[in-house]
Amino acid sequence: MTDELLVIRAQLGERGALPELLAGWRMPVWTYVRRMLDADRADDVSQEVWLAVVRGLPRLREPGRFAPWLFTIARRSVTDRLRDEYARAVETTGYGDIAGAGVTEGITEDPVETMVDRAALVSVLSALPVLEREILVLFYLEDLPVEECAYVCRIPAGTVKSRLNRARRLLREHLLPEHLLPEHLGEKGHMR
Amino acid sequence: MTEEPRRPAGDMIEHLAPVLSLGTRIRAVTALLAGAAGLVFVSALWWSEPGPLPGRTHLGFALFTVFCLAWAVYGGWLLTRRVPLFATDRVIAAWIGLAASLATTALVAVVAVRRGTGAELALAAGGLFVAVALVPVVRAHRRRAALLRRMRELTGGEDR
Repeated sequence: MTDELLVIRAQLGERGALPELLAGWRMPVWTYVRRMLDADRADDVSQEVWLAVVRGLPRLREPGRFAPWLFTIARRSVTDRLRDEYARAVETTGYGDIAGAGVTEGITEDPVETMVDRAALVSVLSALPVLEREILVLFYLEDLPVEECAYVCRIPAGTVKSRLNRARRLLREHLLPEHLLPEHLGEKGHMR
Repeated sequence: MTEEPRRPAGDMIEHLAPVLSLGTRIRAVTALLAGAAGLVFVSALWWSEPGPLPGRTHLGFALFTVFCLAWAVYGGWLLTRRVPLFATDRVIAAWIGLAASLATTALVAVVAVRRGTGAELALAAGGLFVAVALVPVVRAHRRRAALLRRMRELTGGEDR
């Protein structure tokens, strides 16, 4: 069953649909929250996200766009917890974002992408600045396309691409010495 | 990557249960309806009082009106922000609202006729109340119909 159908059933008030929706999206939400926050806060914040999702679900106008809507809510809860980090990150990386806003071509190919696996990515995520971490989690771990990442983060698609490029440069710096794993050659899909 | 949520899925659903419980939704709808009905009823009585009223009576009516308004606002806030009212719930709630507005109008009209004062004003206020209550009925039916239509499209025309 598609997510859209499940969301519509839940919006109609079908009792069984909501637990089914929660079962399908519990781990992606938790993964996003956990990668952005420490383990102690991840469960509580995930719970808070689901509470907001349940409360807001009747007002969701486009059931087909459930995923970006869900991550927008999750991001709001996370940014509430990391307000200081976000403020600092915007101050320090603001110029890069402005320059990247004009990027219209695809995301620059980067050998890092083809060399790391999901575990290696996760192992260094916490060391990255919050804006880069967020975009990597949404794009690689949650499989959201650039347009949906832009919607969730409320930034232009060009800025998403520039942040992804910058994030991968940072990843390369963190990963290359110990995590060169040629056996994991592959595209974005191989990192999940 | 073996890390998993510490809280089991069952616990999460249990934590959501109070928000989804029927009792919570009934309380929210009741607060809104009782508040709105009380507001119309007290206002109609206040305006239809014959002759000049003493200051204390005005104060009493004003306090009652504010009290009802507070309940109506609280119920509205609960329904829009705290308690999810799904499409089918909205249809039911909207019809309950319409029934309550009709009952309030009838009650206000009867009281006004018995007292022989301000029956037109009471009916006008009640009529406005009913008209306002009709809006959510129409919107709730439209919304539910749109969701059902989309569901049929997605399931290839299977009926529920």
